[in-house]
Amino acid sequence: MGVLSTLVRGLVRGADRMSEFTSKRGSRTHNKGRGARPTGLRLPSRKFLSIKAMIPEFVVPHLEGFKLRPYVSYRTPKGTEAPVTAQRLFDEVVAPQVKKDFEEGTFSKDQLEKYGFEPTQEGKLLKLYPKNYVR
Amino acid sequence: MRLTALLSMAARVIVPKDYRYGTNRPWTAAAKRMNPPGKKRRKVFVEPMEPEDWSVVKGDMVEILAGKDKGKQGKVIQVFRRRNWVILEGLNTHHRYVGKSTDYRGTYIATEAPLLLRDVALIDPSDRRPTQIDWKFTEEGERVRVSGRTGRIIPKPVVERRDGIVPQQWKDGPKDTSPEDTLEKTYVPSLKTLEEEVMEKLGIQENSRHQRSYWY
Repeated sequence: MGVLSTLVRGLVRGADRMSEFTSKRGSRTHNKGRGARPTGLRLPSRKFLSIKAMIPEFVVPHLEGFKLRPYVSYRTPKGTEAPVTAQRLFDEVVAPQVKKDFEEGTFSKDQLEKYGFEPTQEGKLLKLYPKNYVR
Repeated sequence: MRLTALLSMAARVIVPKDYRYGTNRPWTAAAKRMNPPGKKRRKVFVEPMEPEDWSVVKGDMVEILAGKDKGKQGKVIQVFRRRNWVILEGLNTHHRYVGKSTDYRGTYIATEAPLLLRDVALIDPSDRRPTQIDWKFTEEGERVRVSGRTGRIIPKPVVERRDGIVPQQWKDGPKDTSPEDTLEKTYVPSLKTLEEEVMEKLGIQENSRHQRSYWY
């Protein structure tokens, strides 16, 4: 109401047509959701069947003896670690193994899977691309 | 469109080329009252200065060389680069009434007026007298302000945080991680994603896979 009165005072007149129509607007009987994912099926008998697999479950490890806390102290100076890039990951994880195998003579281009190479993302639960899990 | 256009107009101010900058920020109501869109005022000439020659920083101690409070030293509160102004704390003040209404005469307060950069000089910390400043490089390659008379380096003032927290004197609360725990390097690079590592550690086995889906 206050907004409308300022609008009336200014140059424009009428209802605000351009704002998003959320579940807070409209009549009491107007049921509009806010984008929650369904957790079951609507049966033909108009009942709702809840499926356990569709309900998200939080997996929290045991936090006994965990030293990190929600906030960081103001006294902490800036860190000196370099950001983790794909190049750095390769250099630290894959390159030593490849080098060792090459020196032993067991390196072959067809057996790159043992160093972590994935030719396709098919069959994986958590694909790298397209990302099929929530981060 | 009407409401959102109104809101976006209020957020960012488009200022004309011959805008006269005052002590009020251009998006405030007071500045809009003094500089309405159609006004044209006499052009105010600002001494041209290279941006790298600017030597006064907010928080510095400076001395006034000309004006009502000549010879007094004060701390810089605000700097206006557009008009070569500095405002010092409690100096070069005039008094005015604030918050007037029909039956109340208003509160009589002292307001600082801006001083031109030409009329102030930085203070040498060793003898506490005004000096001319040169910009020079140290052995390490840092660009510092050096006093012309004594040759002493004038350090940059410590920037106080707006919330008043001094990091070195901070006392950790129950939800704060200590600096030692924060800086501990526990990262072990591996080719697994975080989710895969957690699943492996907790022994979760998931054999079902997602249904094939497409989007465009």
